[in-house]
Amino acid sequence: MRIFKLKKEYLFPFLESISEGADLWAPTKKPEGKHSFQIIKDFSQIDLDYTRTILPPRKIFLPPSFNMFKATEKKYEADFSHVTEKIIFGLHPCDIHAILIMDQFYKHHYNDPYYIEARNNTLILGHSCWPDEHCLCKSAGTDIIEEGYDLFFSELEKEYLVWIGSSKGDDLIRRKPDFFDENITDKDIQKYIEWREEKDKAFSVSIDFKNMPDLMELKYQDPLWEKLGQACLACGSCSNVCPTCNCYNINDKPFLTENASHISRCWDACTLESYSEVAGGENFREARSLRLKLYYTHKLQAYISKYGKPACVGCGRCIETCPVDINIKTVAQSLDNETVDAFWDRFAKEVTK
Amino acid sequence: MKNDKLKIGFYELTGCAGDCLLVTDCEMELIDIFNAVDIQSFAMVMSNNTDGELDLALVEGSVTTEKEIEELKDIRKRAKAVVAFGTCAVLGGVQARFIDPKEWEKNLKIVYGNTEFTHTKPVQSKPIDAFIDVDFYLPGCPVSKEQFLNFFTRILKGNPPEHYPNPVCVTCKYNENDCLLKKGELCLGPLTADGCGSICPNHNIPCNGCWGPVEGANVTSEFYLLKEKGFSVDEIKKKMANFSGTKITDYFQQLDKEPK
Ligand code: SF4
Ligand code: SF4
Ligand code: SF4
Ligand code: SF4
Repeated sequence: MRIFKLKKEYLFPFLESISEGADLWAPTKKPEGKHSFQIIKDFSQIDLDYTRTILPPRKIFLPPSFNMFKATEKKYEADFSHVTEKIIFGLHPCDIHAILIMDQFYKHHYNDPYYIEARNNTLILGHSCWPDEHCLCKSAGTDIIEEGYDLFFSELEKEYLVWIGSSKGDDLIRRKPDFFDENITDKDIQKYIEWREEKDKAFSVSIDFKNMPDLMELKYQDPLWEKLGQACLACGSCSNVCPTCNCYNINDKPFLTENASHISRCWDACTLESYSEVAGGENFREARSLRLKLYYTHKLQAYISKYGKPACVGCGRCIETCPVDINIKTVAQSLDNETVDAFWDRFAKEVTK
Repeated sequence: MKNDKLKIGFYELTGCAGDCLLVTDCEMELIDIFNAVDIQSFAMVMSNNTDGELDLALVEGSVTTEKEIEELKDIRKRAKAVVAFGTCAVLGGVQARFIDPKEWEKNLKIVYGNTEFTHTKPVQSKPIDAFIDVDFYLPGCPVSKEQFLNFFTRILKGNPPEHYPNPVCVTCKYNENDCLLKKGELCLGPLTADGCGSICPNHNIPCNGCWGPVEGANVTSEFYLLKEKGFSVDEIKKKMANFSGTKITDYFQQLDKEPK
């Protein structure tokens, strides 16, 4: 793996030179203060001082809702208009790990052309970050990234250390060879190591993920699930913000004049009531507690059993989002018999008084 | 071919006429709509309306007079299928927010004094299914263009209309809004049926619940959550009843049964 040094003032000129003919997506700050990946029209929009975006980067590959094809009586016309040349800049390690999990599912396990096409036309440019009180990447083993990116920018005081992660990444820096300095000094390495060590100490929460598959199994009938189900508002937000959720639903949108339909695809969420409803109105997971069990089985058990790592990358989005504090932290802590500070726990006590 | 067209009627009871107005606002599709079906009655846009047999009647507005009860029953008799069109028809709308009949009587007195009602007698506002069977519900204040056109197209093609089972939060998250409820505001998004495109939270305004309750809404949890955030019971109930009228009373009864 090759590493270069890039002066900070060269960053935007570099991005400008490589994003010609492609959509450049990067984190931007919303008026209320939260962040969101958006297509960059003006470099002043980019805000790298962010921890997490509201929606995960998977929205860039598969938007919340898009048309898959037009069906007429005689044929299907596939619609790949969501596939454009893209560069995503500023992805943190947890989000790149999440993309690898998406790849596992949509590229290797299934063969989803809508994902694969979009993914193959997207360059991944990562960026280093600093944890806040919700970040669980260290516990999830996703705080360090070794694959899945084309370039990765580690921010030091005045410059970036730029890791080349792929041949496409190598091609990118060849476009501006003058910007990149191959000469990494011992002092640079020292600065980087110190930064790594400081970051390592900055985490305030941790989860013992390796115990979770067993605890999920042992506590599958635990009253905990009833408590969670009682408080869950079934809003679907925890799934919609999670970078590793991959469920979707398909709808027909018939045309008024033509005998044809658009077949559209939109994100679905196992925490929503309609998720497990089948033809005839039968619902296999009508109880909210059962739906939450499914969500947490996916994150904490099933994926670990199959691929040896959790399907949670510790991004902290569910922690920041759930209105009733049902999230990976409070659920894992409860499974581990720790006391939690959460509305759902206070509510359970209130209604059983 | 002409005789095969579905006979359709649009009717307005008590409401703002916003749902019928929305149909006329489907400018790109209006000609197709009028070509596709045989519109028998649509007071907002045409004269010479006839009161014959119908395949489909879309009824907007809530029932607030005895005369409207008769009109509604007559529509039901003539129509193979009836749609409650818009939140007033589905739930009673803002005019049904006085859950307690005594409160309604008091307000009627304040507004009309001792006026003698000659044409017809007012009754407390109710959704249309308080008087007739309803085949399809299309809430919205007003209904959304997309949901209406989808509904209309599906009915036209003989397909059952699409079901919209999600709360407002789903679209709100798609639109990447910072959650107002999480920030401590009285947002009814988790309890409210989706369809508006989360237009209020998109503009930093909490959802008022104008689409009415979503199926499976967890009112009890949101109620306690709002209480914990410092809202009074009265404030929460008033907000919840704003659009959902009598249909939210079931939920309140359920709430009252919960231990305090
Ligand atoms: S479960 Fe929560 S912390 Fe884990 S990846 Fe999903 S949103 Fe992030
Ligand atoms: S767990 Fe929280 S975020 Fe998820 S559906 Fe329930 S209330 Fe919404
Ligand atoms: S702002 Fe309101 S509608 Fe949006 S996610 Fe939060 S509770 Fe739901
Ligand atoms: S956000 Fe709520 S109040 Fe606003 S239009 Fe939508 S359903 Fe109505």
